[in-house]
Amino acid sequence: MQRDQHDLFGGGILVALGLAVAGYAAMHYDLGTMRQMGPGFFPTALGLVLAGLGLTIAVPAWWRAGERRGFVGREVLCVIAAILIFGLLLGQLGLVVTTALAAVVASIPAPKPGIVWRLVLAAGITALTWAIFIAGLRMTIPVWPWSL
Amino acid sequence: MTMWDGLLSGLSVALQPAVLIYSLFGVFLGTLVGVLPGIGAMAAISLLLPLTYYISAEAALVMLAGVYYGAQYGGAVASILLRLPGTPQSAITTLDGYPMARQGRAGIALFTAMVSSFAGSILGIIVLVVLAGWLAGLATRFGAAEYAAMMVLGLVAASTVGSGRPAKSMAMVVLGLILGCVGTDVNSGAQRFTFGQTQLMDGINLVALAMGLFGVAEVIGNIRSADSHGRPRRIGLRELVPSRADLRQMPGPILRGTALGSFFGALPGTGSTISSFLSYALERRVSRRPERFGQGAVEGVAGPESANNAASITAFVPTLTLGIPGDPIMALMLGALVIHGIQPGPMMLDARPEMFWGLVISFGIGNLFLLILNLPLIGMWVSILRIPFRWLYPAIIVFVCLGVYSVRGATFDIVMVAGIGAIGYLLTLAKFSPALLLLGFVLGPMIETNLRRALLISRGDPMVFLERPIACGFVLVTAALILMAVVKALRHTRQPA
Repeated sequence: MQRDQHDLFGGGILVALGLAVAGYAAMHYDLGTMRQMGPGFFPTALGLVLAGLGLTIAVPAWWRAGERRGFVGREVLCVIAAILIFGLLLGQLGLVVTTALAAVVASIPAPKPGIVWRLVLAAGITALTWAIFIAGLRMTIPVWPWSL
Repeated sequence: MTMWDGLLSGLSVALQPAVLIYSLFGVFLGTLVGVLPGIGAMAAISLLLPLTYYISAEAALVMLAGVYYGAQYGGAVASILLRLPGTPQSAITTLDGYPMARQGRAGIALFTAMVSSFAGSILGIIVLVVLAGWLAGLATRFGAAEYAAMMVLGLVAASTVGSGRPAKSMAMVVLGLILGCVGTDVNSGAQRFTFGQTQLMDGINLVALAMGLFGVAEVIGNIRSADSHGRPRRIGLRELVPSRADLRQMPGPILRGTALGSFFGALPGTGSTISSFLSYALERRVSRRPERFGQGAVEGVAGPESANNAASITAFVPTLTLGIPGDPIMALMLGALVIHGIQPGPMMLDARPEMFWGLVISFGIGNLFLLILNLPLIGMWVSILRIPFRWLYPAIIVFVCLGVYSVRGATFDIVMVAGIGAIGYLLTLAKFSPALLLLGFVLGPMIETNLRRALLISRGDPMVFLERPIACGFVLVTAALILMAVVKALRHTRQPA
């Protein structure tokens, strides 16, 4: 039997996360009293509730069959990488280079082969971005690597 | 202040050129995004949130509201022409709208959706005005205990009434509440879960969270599937003209749909999606020839489309009068107001009546724009449906990054979006609702503050929630909802899988 793995793992992660939050909050922040709650009370309580809910999600999933939904690894990887490139390189390379790079990386998982249309698309997006954010909205972002 | 004074002061706000322009802009952009399969109203509103930092509070809310109902109409276009619901609210419209398109009556289905949406919205605005005045009067008697209890009720209702399994929905709400704790604790000034990062001292950025959970996660999930649909054929203006028989079938479903939508929209936790499903079920039941449903019945488009638009208007009742968002979209709207330092609540109607009435009138004007705009532009929306998604989504990703960056010039927030986007995709994959996470995130700090205040006043006695009649009522309903969810869950496990 194929178990309901999404709920099994999802619930399990929530249990771990809930306990971690509750433990961290209880150790580092003042719990206070009922009358004068400290900053630790609310997160500790929430962490425990989350762990409890995680249990009720994960435990029944052990006895239940579940379909397995496809994970689109390439799409996740490329889109996240494109955003990271943008966030990490904007301060180093300026808007134009960063935008073009991010657009090319983001377009990698698109279901159509060919490099030319990807480069054209990236150039188009870069031009549009420059037109909207620099020429139009006059945002103060370094445009070129040498204008930093 | 009488209603007429209010309306007059509201007119002076709503007719400002800036407000009118942003209303038009919001409606236009909302329809555009709603038409595009693959990005919904949540993503559209998230994408525009950064812009609200630069315009007045009234213009911001009017624009975002325009995006919201524009997206609903746009979603109906995609539903009718391609059987691809652009938004969940319009999923039910595919049932009869798409068969109508197949029979060559696409124009009439679009006309029906347009007119029903407009009628539903305008009637919804009337309900909004009546309910808001009444609720705001009631809410002035609310104390911290009532607010805390009511917000908890709202969260529990949202996670038990909607689709999906209650335990999973509730887990998302709780996770959102935990994320809402990040940052400086308002009551004690202590830093919680900041791990020494000064960027987190103000908490997790709402824009980064919303864009990651909706913009990025939706794009990732749709790259592979969005282009697999066919291309719709072009539609001329003349095809929109309905026959007299078609027209006769509309008023009944529109009125019933509006009544349903107004009611469920104003309740916390339920909303436009549920209203549209209920309206469809109701129309099929009252119809003398229910076998026509699913084969292209005009009532099957008119009822749900008026219901979801009425619901999207009356959803503003709890948001504006109590300061409590009933659904995740309203949570974003509330976030936009809070950015401007405006805390909606019972005081707003008294202290800033021009704001409330201005919004109400603007909703009407926005819906008028929607109707006027869409008659001549229908051909353009159909053309947009023909653009492949692979050309659009890299641009969306770049705009998400720049939008988040523009809020406070922090590249840290862009990196946050990457992480949140990955988590958001995993949550959607495992059928956990990111929308409920956002609702918990926005309500979290408010619940904590009111809970702590209520217990401080009662000297630590938790009985305060049962001794005050209104708070007690909220607690009892909450308990009943949880009990129902538990019973449902137990029955669910006993059934063979």
